[in-house]
Amino acid sequence: MELPNIYKGNYKMLVIFPIILLAVAIYFIPSIKMGVDFQGGTLITLSTKESVGAEDLQAKLRAEGMEATVRVFSTTMGYRVEIEVPQSKSLVQAEELKGQFNTLLPVVSNLEVNAYQNASMNSEYQEKKAGLDAVAGSMFALINKSLASMNITGTNDLQKRFADAYSEVYSDYERSISEPINKHVSYNSMSVQTVSPVLSARFIDSILKIAVWAAVLSMILVFVFFRSVVPSIAVLAGAACDVVIAMGGMGLFGIEFTLASFAALLMLVGFSLDTDILLTTRMLKRKGDPRENAYDAMKTGLTMSGAAIVAFGALFILSIFTHIPTYYEISAVALCGLFGDTFATWCINGVLMLHHMEGKKK
Amino acid sequence: MNFYTDRKFHVLLALFILLAAGVVAYGTPLSGVIIISAVILFGSLSLIWKEPHIKLAALVFLVLLSLTNVFANPMRFGIDFVGGTRIPVTLDHSVDSATMDEFVQTIKGRISVLGLSEVKVRAIGDNQVYVELPSNDEATIASIERSLSQQGVYEGIVDGKVAVSGDRIFRTTIRAMGSSELASMSGGGAMPDWGVAFSVDRAGAEQFAAAAKGKANYPIYMFLDRPTDAAIFFERESLRTAIPADSSDKEAIRAMQNAFKMVAGNTIEAYVLENLSDNVTALTNKTRALVSQNASQSYKDLLKQRGFAVVELPEAKMAPTMHRDIGGVLVLERLEAAGLLTAPSLSGSLATGIPNYNYVITGSVGNNTTSSAARAAEAVQRVKDIESILKGGALPVQISLGSRTTVPASLGSEFLKLSMITIASSLIVISIIIGLRYRNIRATLPIVLISLAEFTILLSILGSFTIDLAAMAGIIAAIGVGVDAQIVITDELLKKDKHTQQEKMALAFGIIKTNIVVAIFSMVPLLFSRMLSGLLLVEVIGFSESTILGAILGYLLTRPAYAAIVEMVLEGEKKAPVPASS
Repeated sequence: MELPNIYKGNYKMLVIFPIILLAVAIYFIPSIKMGVDFQGGTLITLSTKESVGAEDLQAKLRAEGMEATVRVFSTTMGYRVEIEVPQSKSLVQAEELKGQFNTLLPVVSNLEVNAYQNASMNSEYQEKKAGLDAVAGSMFALINKSLASMNITGTNDLQKRFADAYSEVYSDYERSISEPINKHVSYNSMSVQTVSPVLSARFIDSILKIAVWAAVLSMILVFVFFRSVVPSIAVLAGAACDVVIAMGGMGLFGIEFTLASFAALLMLVGFSLDTDILLTTRMLKRKGDPRENAYDAMKTGLTMSGAAIVAFGALFILSIFTHIPTYYEISAVALCGLFGDTFATWCINGVLMLHHMEGKKK
Repeated sequence: MNFYTDRKFHVLLALFILLAAGVVAYGTPLSGVIIISAVILFGSLSLIWKEPHIKLAALVFLVLLSLTNVFANPMRFGIDFVGGTRIPVTLDHSVDSATMDEFVQTIKGRISVLGLSEVKVRAIGDNQVYVELPSNDEATIASIERSLSQQGVYEGIVDGKVAVSGDRIFRTTIRAMGSSELASMSGGGAMPDWGVAFSVDRAGAEQFAAAAKGKANYPIYMFLDRPTDAAIFFERESLRTAIPADSSDKEAIRAMQNAFKMVAGNTIEAYVLENLSDNVTALTNKTRALVSQNASQSYKDLLKQRGFAVVELPEAKMAPTMHRDIGGVLVLERLEAAGLLTAPSLSGSLATGIPNYNYVITGSVGNNTTSSAARAAEAVQRVKDIESILKGGALPVQISLGSRTTVPASLGSEFLKLSMITIASSLIVISIIIGLRYRNIRATLPIVLISLAEFTILLSILGSFTIDLAAMAGIIAAIGVGVDAQIVITDELLKKDKHTQQEKMALAFGIIKTNIVVAIFSMVPLLFSRMLSGLLLVEVIGFSESTILGAILGYLLTRPAYAAIVEMVLEGEKKAPVPASS
């Protein structure tokens, strides 16, 4: 179990490994698939007793007019069928219309009351009401009805009919999903996850804020702890490379970008900083040959990474058996990150620190 | 190291007994809070007190406390692990956190009426709520879905005629009145404490004018979901305890008849069971008899004989609230069983028969609340109640129910079993790796034992709240990362160089402290996602909770306890040969 000291000889060549990895990672990052969380859409998960042919089912569902993508996984407890459907256009439109309607409604209601009591308000009321009617008309069109044919008496009635129309669009959408599925698959349980375009946009906004906060907090803390520019940058460079490599892994292995994989990436920031901090502290605080110190730190660091790889590896194996997406996304991202961390820490941060320490000696 | 006489040990023991009693007495989820405080308490004590055996004792007590919790209180798992149903509820539009909280509370309230305690309601994002119940029972799910989608019907009744009905009110005009508006209402008298304004449409105005004409100072009985085809029955004693002391049960029944009569039919009759005459029978085969669940069985049987469908209600809902108006007439103000929620009196200006589109309901807070803050709070509450009644008891936002997710119990328990196997096997493999690395049982065993202790505490704390998929993944992650601190300490101490033990320990602790602080702070933004972005990322919050808790445990417990063990081991090693570093 004796590791060779990689820092003997021309250690600067070590940088080649992570640079190759980074190049590969950057190449694959654009192909990261967005999950339902960030892309919007509907993910239907069925658990079935008997195996289902993915392509066969997909063809059948498409024949029913469902733009479905089907994947089938075998698990220890039968099969797991994932059917991904893009967000229905009419539902997206209905949601937009609902937003517009709810903004206009209070104004029109107030004007209606005012117009009763004061005829001079009538023209303004009619004008605003026309706007509201137009929105409602578009909604009724979605369920193949026209405003004119509905004999609506006032704003209160309009509001009620509008809400009914929205529910109808929603249940049409649900039916358009559940009917073909019920027809072609027999399943034990079904789960439906729907993320509207509005919510997915908010999710993206939210994780961006969280990512920025996490990055800024980590940077500040690293600078506070080391109080020296080069080691801080070396530590942060190692962590940044790690996250990039992990994201490359996501693109390469088709791990979807979801809230769970995002959480795993955040954890990687902390974990990759662990080994970087270990290395940097050891090299700064210890006397003696920096190369020996770096090598010693590497032995400790690899044991730490080994323990983490075991835990996430176990989670990964579990995810293969159960096909629980949360488990799969977290463990797969963590494993990619731990792999990347090995190169990022010992070949980038290590080399930067050795260069720094040996430069100081001269 | 004599535990019998050690004061510090006695303090720990006393704390442990106190906290363990708390864990048993309060149960989950409070027991989780108790253990978190215990971690901080014991952790700080073992940082302050230098004696190694005290540090170890603190850890042992924490593990015992966690085990007490695990055995005394059933651990809570999400529906992914126990099976159950999740009903997504989508809000009409995005709302801010305060409205979302109100919304979640309202839904919880509605469901608690069904007597289902194990139902969880939690916000997902800013326009969705998950209602989760650990059951796949079709009838239960249907009753929850019904209670969620139900929209109340509001009716304001004056002297047996509907004056205001909910569908004639412009919902968006319902609002609380400002203090300047209230001041202008006072008309020389005392200023009302609160007020709600609303407008109705043309048909509503005409309906009101017709019903209220000539009825100045009559009460307007405000009903939410007034029952149809029902009669209400009281036992004399329970009625008497609820009505004013100066009134009789006959007078009380008369007040109810005033409130419940309907000229167009569908009057709710009120009776005293002791005086029930023989000709009181059910009008239809569906006529409901509303009666207190505390009423004697013989009366309930009697009502059944008379053809009623007996509906037993909690005593609190059957207790009427009454007051005397300015003319001294007893007025029924509130009787929840009949859907009557309040009865303000009609102002003279509205009784002229001329259609009016804008209305206000005002009132004063009783004089028994003296502090102005309490009065203001009560006024706010009254406004909320009235607004909610006028809106038909509606949720603050319109909702639609989504497709439910079901997890069969067998699948859930399989997931749980496999997750536990995963945790156990990763602990075993990590132990083997550490064993191979150090080839020294005295270095390996403590690492494994402390990891086990950390896992127990983590499980106990998280299980007091809810362990969902993300939290479970976090626990497994914490096991992998939890040994880090111990590996750093061991490697540092086993090095043969010029540094003294103290220097090595200080160096190791420096690294650990930095690592843990950074690890915590890189996850904290996720935990506080709601503060940062207004969105609570429920799907992954469990992951950040467990990894952060794992890191805190590492800092407050592993560090001191493991250091204590190492010191003891090293003391022993002075006599024995030092093991070689690999």
